[in-house]
Amino acid sequence: MSDKETPLKKQGESDGVWMTFRRDGDEGHCVIKGEWTVGGGAVRSASLEWSGILSSNLDLRAFRFSASEIESWDSSLIVFLDLCRRELADSGKGFDPAGLPAGILKLLGMCGSKRPKKIGSDFSLDAGIEFFETGLGRFRETILGLACFWAEWLSAFLLLFIGRSGMRLRDLIMACRTCGASALPIVTLISFLTGLTMAFVGSVQLEKFNAKIYIADLVSLAMVREMGALMVAIVMAGRTGAAFAAELGSMKLNEEIDSLRTFGISPMQFLVLPRTLGLLLMTPLLTLYADVVGILGGLTVGTQVMDFSVLHYYDQTQSALRGMWEVYSGLIKSLAFGLIIGLVGCYKGLGSGKDSASLGRAVTSSVVTSVTLIVVVDALFEITFSFLDLR
Amino acid sequence: MKEEEVKTYDFPVLRVENLDLAYADYQVLKDVTFEVADGTCLVVMGGSGCGKSTLLKALIGLLPPRKGNVLIRSDDLWSSEFEKRAEILRRFGVLFQGGALWSSMTLLENVMLPLETHTDLPESEVGQVAEYKLSLVGLAGFEQFYPSQLSGGMKKRAGLARAMALDPDILFFDEPSAGLDPLTSRKLDDLINELKESLGITFVVVSHDLSSIYEIADDSIFLDSNTKSLLERGDPAWLAENSVHEHVRSFMNRDSSTDQI
Ligand SMILES: Nc1ncnc2c1ncn2[C@@H]1O[C@H](COP(=O)(O)OP(=O)(O)OP(=O)(O)O)[C@@H](O)[C@H]1O
Ligand SMILES: [Mg+2]
Repeated sequence: MSDKETPLKKQGESDGVWMTFRRDGDEGHCVIKGEWTVGGGAVRSASLEWSGILSSNLDLRAFRFSASEIESWDSSLIVFLDLCRRELADSGKGFDPAGLPAGILKLLGMCGSKRPKKIGSDFSLDAGIEFFETGLGRFRETILGLACFWAEWLSAFLLLFIGRSGMRLRDLIMACRTCGASALPIVTLISFLTGLTMAFVGSVQLEKFNAKIYIADLVSLAMVREMGALMVAIVMAGRTGAAFAAELGSMKLNEEIDSLRTFGISPMQFLVLPRTLGLLLMTPLLTLYADVVGILGGLTVGTQVMDFSVLHYYDQTQSALRGMWEVYSGLIKSLAFGLIIGLVGCYKGLGSGKDSASLGRAVTSSVVTSVTLIVVVDALFEITFSFLDLR
Repeated sequence: MKEEEVKTYDFPVLRVENLDLAYADYQVLKDVTFEVADGTCLVVMGGSGCGKSTLLKALIGLLPPRKGNVLIRSDDLWSSEFEKRAEILRRFGVLFQGGALWSSMTLLENVMLPLETHTDLPESEVGQVAEYKLSLVGLAGFEQFYPSQLSGGMKKRAGLARAMALDPDILFFDEPSAGLDPLTSRKLDDLINELKESLGITFVVVSHDLSSIYEIADDSIFLDSNTKSLLERGDPAWLAENSVHEHVRSFMNRDSSTDQI
C-alpha cells in the first residue's frame, strides 16, 4: 500500500514510531515497523500509540495487521499483538493477523488468549485504607481461628483423661526436654542480666532517698511479679513457638500431615497436644528458675557494688516476698503465656500453605502474634489483679 | 483373566458416585462415577492439572466433595462420623507423591506408628511386622535410617511399606514413578503386580507414565480438564486403539500432531 506518500491524512490516521495506521473502508490497517526488542521498552510505548489509534477509530469494524517494514523483532512484538488481540476482542472488533509473517503467526497462536487476572498493586489512598482493612480482617481471623483451635485443643485434652488420646508419652517427654531443659542456658543468661540491670537502674534512684537496701525489694518483686514470666515467655516465643511453627509447617509442606490423617491419626492429638502440654508444664518451671536467677543477679550487684552483706540482702528479699502470692501470680501468668505460645506456634504451623514462602510467613507471624498476645494478656492480668485488690 | 482369584462381594471395593470436586469457588471435576473391582489395578490418567490428585484426595478423606458419594464396600466415606471414617481409613494405604514419610522418625518407626495406633499388638511384635514390611520392599537393613538419609526411590518404597503396614484392602498411589529412573520405576511396577497377585490388594494409581500404565493397569479412567469430567473408561491398551476420543488416543500413543495444544 502506498498511502505513505499521500500527503493528505484522513481523520484518525497516524504515522508513529512503531506503526503506520491507515483507514481502508470500515477496516483499519496497521503496518508494524521499527526495531522491536524487549529491552528497548517497545511494548510500553507501542501500546500507548495503539490505544491512541484505537480511541480515535472507534467506528471501524476490524483491524488488519502486517509487518512489511519491520526491522527486527522478538517476544515484545508477540506480547504487543496479543494485547491488541485481547483489546479488540473485548470491544467486539475483528483482529486480522493474516498479513504477518508465518513465524509471528505461529508464536501468536501459541500464546493463550486467556487473560490473566489483573492484580491491583498500585498504591493509592483507597489501597491504603484497604490495606488497613485487610490487616484488621486478618487479625480478627487469626483471633477467631485461634479460639476455634483452642476449643479443639481442649476437647483433645479432655480425651487424654478418658485415656482415648493418640498422644504418645515419649513425644511429651521429648517436648519437655526440648522446650524445658535445653532452654536453661539462655534463660539463665537473660534473667541474670535482667536482675542485674534492674539493680543498677534502681540503685541510682534509691540512692537519692538514702534507701539503697530497698534494692532487694525492687529486684525480687519485679522479678517474680513481672519480669521472670515475661522474659521466659519472650524467649520461649522466639525459641520454641517459632520451632513449633517451622516444624509443623514443613510437615505440612511434605504432606506428612496429610499422611497422618489418612492413617486416622489426628494431628491435634499426635502433634499439637504433646508440644503444647510440654510447653505448658515447662514455662512455669522455667519462670520459677528465672525468678531465682534474677534475684541472684540483683544480689550480685547488691553485694559487689553496693557493699551489702549477703545475709542482709537475703533477709531483705525474704521480707519482701513474705506473701507468696506475688510468686504465684507470676506463675499463673506464665501458665497462660505457655499456652498462648504453644497454641499460636502450632496453629500457625498447621495453617501454613504448601510453599516455602508461606512457611517463612508462618514462623514470623507465630512470633509476632504470640509476643503481641503475651503483652496484651499480661496487661489484662495486671488490670484484673489490681481491680480485685490482689496487688 | 484372574477369575479364580477374585473373591465375590456384594459391593465393589470402591465405588464413586456423581462426585463433584471444587477448591473454594474453583470447580475441578463434575459428576465423576466409576467403580473398582476387587484385586485389580485402576489407573487414573489425564493431562496435567485435570484433577487427578484432587480426585485422589477426595477418595482418601482429605478433601470433602461438593456432592456425591465415595463408597468403600457399602460404607459411605464422607457421610460417616469421625470414628467411623477413621475405621474406614484404616483399610486404606496411601503412597504420596514424595513418600511423605514422617521426617522425625526412623523408617522402622514410620512403619510401626500405624500399627501401634490401630492394633493392640505388643511392641516387639509390632517391630517384627514392620521389619517384615520393609524387607518386602527391599529395604531390609535400612530400619534405623531417617527419611532424609534416603534417595527418592527408597523414600517411595518406604512409603509403600508404610502404606501396607495395616494390610489394607486398597492402596492409593499418586504418581509412583514420577522422578524415578526407568529401572527403579520398573521394579516398582513389578512390585505392584506381585502384591496384587499374591495378596489380592486393589490398587488405584495416578500415573502419567505410559510404559508403567500398560504394565500395571487392568482398567483405567481418563479425566479431561476441558469438560472437567470423566471422559472415558476402559483397558488402556484397548483405549489406545479404539477410543472414540481423539484426545485419548493421542495421549495413549504419545502423538501430539492430532491434538491441539
Ligand atoms: N490447593 C488448591 N487450591 C486451589 N486450586 C487447586 C489446589 N490444588 C490444585 N488446584 C487446582 O485444581 C486443578 C487440578 O489440580 P490437580 O493437582 O488435581 O491436578 P493433577 O491432575 O494432579 O495434575 P498433575 O498431573 O500435574 O499432578 C488445577 O487446575 C489446580 O490449579
Ligand atoms: Mg498431581
